[in-house]
Amino acid sequence: MSFLSLVFRNLFRQRMRTTLTVVGISVGITIVVALGAVTGGMKQTAAAVIRQGGADFMVAQRGSADFSFSTVSEDEWAQVASFPGVERARGVLIYITRYGSNPFFPLLGMRPDELAVSPPEVVQGRLPRGADEVILGESAATDNDLAPGDVVEIDHRPLDVVGIFRADNVFYSSGAYAPLATVREIARKPDVVTAVYVKAAPGVDPAALAAKIEDELPTLTTVASASEYGKVDQGIEIMDALELAVSILAVVLGAIAVMNTMIMAVFERTREFGILRAVGWRGSRIMRLVLTEALALCLVAAVVGIAFGLLAVQGVLMIETIAHFLEPTYTVGVFVRGVVIAVSVGLVGALYPAYRAVRLSPMEALRHE
Amino acid sequence: MSDAPMIECLDVVKTYEDGRIRALAGMNLVVEPGELVAVMGPSGCGKSTLLHLVAALDRPDSGIIRVAHHDLAHERNLDHYRARHVGIVFQLHNLLPTLTAVENVQVPMFELGVGPRERRARARRLLELVELSERERSRPAQLSGGERQRVAIARALANGPSVLLADEPTGSLDSKAGGTILDLLVRLRDEREATLVLVTHDANVAGRADRIAHMLDGRASEPVSLAPTRVAVS
Repeated sequence: MSFLSLVFRNLFRQRMRTTLTVVGISVGITIVVALGAVTGGMKQTAAAVIRQGGADFMVAQRGSADFSFSTVSEDEWAQVASFPGVERARGVLIYITRYGSNPFFPLLGMRPDELAVSPPEVVQGRLPRGADEVILGESAATDNDLAPGDVVEIDHRPLDVVGIFRADNVFYSSGAYAPLATVREIARKPDVVTAVYVKAAPGVDPAALAAKIEDELPTLTTVASASEYGKVDQGIEIMDALELAVSILAVVLGAIAVMNTMIMAVFERTREFGILRAVGWRGSRIMRLVLTEALALCLVAAVVGIAFGLLAVQGVLMIETIAHFLEPTYTVGVFVRGVVIAVSVGLVGALYPAYRAVRLSPMEALRHE
Repeated sequence: MSDAPMIECLDVVKTYEDGRIRALAGMNLVVEPGELVAVMGPSGCGKSTLLHLVAALDRPDSGIIRVAHHDLAHERNLDHYRARHVGIVFQLHNLLPTLTAVENVQVPMFELGVGPRERRARARRLLELVELSERERSRPAQLSGGERQRVAIARALANGPSVLLADEPTGSLDSKAGGTILDLLVRLRDEREATLVLVTHDANVAGRADRIAHMLDGRASEPVSLAPTRVAVS
């Protein structure tokens, strides 16, 4: 008989209580894993948006609550483009509208000559050149059963599909590129773009260049990585805060559940702890027994919670509307966070019961009925 | 027998409830190595308290208790002492209900640092010693009272203690099962030269001991020890 078999034997004594505790903890971990995967996907999308067309960073309106609300005027765009050290400054107008079953269809407006400099991977047809032409992302084309030669109507504006492009990100893949002037008309946003994508000239430090632009154009801000995305969009920050809040809640509620379970177990087994002390078990071994029982409970909950988290995300993705814009990312960090929360819950919840078990005098414990 | 006593209790006092209950009031007892000593007396005279103090399950208020050269008043690591120097058998077997007989016997061995295989092999040998090999996979609820006590004795012997303490080991058994347990304890004394202290209020049980210490009101009725007494067990 090993120490671990003793641990599991004890856990199986109260099967219903153990199961309910595992379920309680795993619900928290399920939510943490699902949120982590979704937030990770959002960050990956943000990173793809920032680095669009091989840019070093993007310039957008300072203090914008949502990136799609950002406006950069033609003058500001021209000033950015004229900065020493800027090799390329491409303006993009991002207009989010409904198309087909996608309520967040991104229509991206770029000057055709600028789009041609660093184009997306065209898999069918060609890039748009004329005012009424559009190239669709693969997902958008597949979901709406469209091919080059078809006509799409976006916000009552008919556009000829001239090509299909491939993108490794759901945001682009479920959207389309059209000439900037056309998108401005559809969006009713003349003379502005959402952001300017800057490529620094060879030998120029992009970070120094971004800092200089921010200094001289105080109404604009620069974003070079997903971690800076909060400067122009608070969505990810809100998701991060939500994830943190849920993680803390999961730890607190899980710890309470574990503490309740382990205190009851310690109380019920007081006499047994007395027997173990009487036959020579050290207090530290008894503490290890209680802590290991709690940790085993929580690690089982972590496995269950992670599995249900993955299932939950996949379940959500079965809703077509959500699948258009949500692309979860399963990083190692997401799973590690689930396990860390489980271990924290186990340790925090079992510490007091374990302390109580150790503090019992052998005689006091043996007299317990 | 060596010159040094195996157990030495000198002027031991133990009170409960802030001194209102005086369980031991200057108890003296000396047990030589290899002896089987019975401690007799009526209920509440302090027999079990004495045993618990010798087993280091509790601490005396005053007095000296030396067991196998360990001065328990100054012993820092009582867990270590309990694990290696003393084995105890309770009136109610106190086996762990979820473990089988062979697993119960292994429990004390966790403190010896031996691996699971060795623990299992030793536990099987001990169950063989108490003639319970065929019941090694039975849980306490599946064993008779006498069998449970035999498992408890095997567990008490698990770590090769210097002293075996038995608190009314036949108290909850019928005369036949009690007789078997007594035979086993006497055999252990004879074959293993174990030092045994047996608490009982049954004169027949005490009669199997080498010496009897009578207790009354927290003291042994005779100073230190009594002359050997033999009473036939019917």
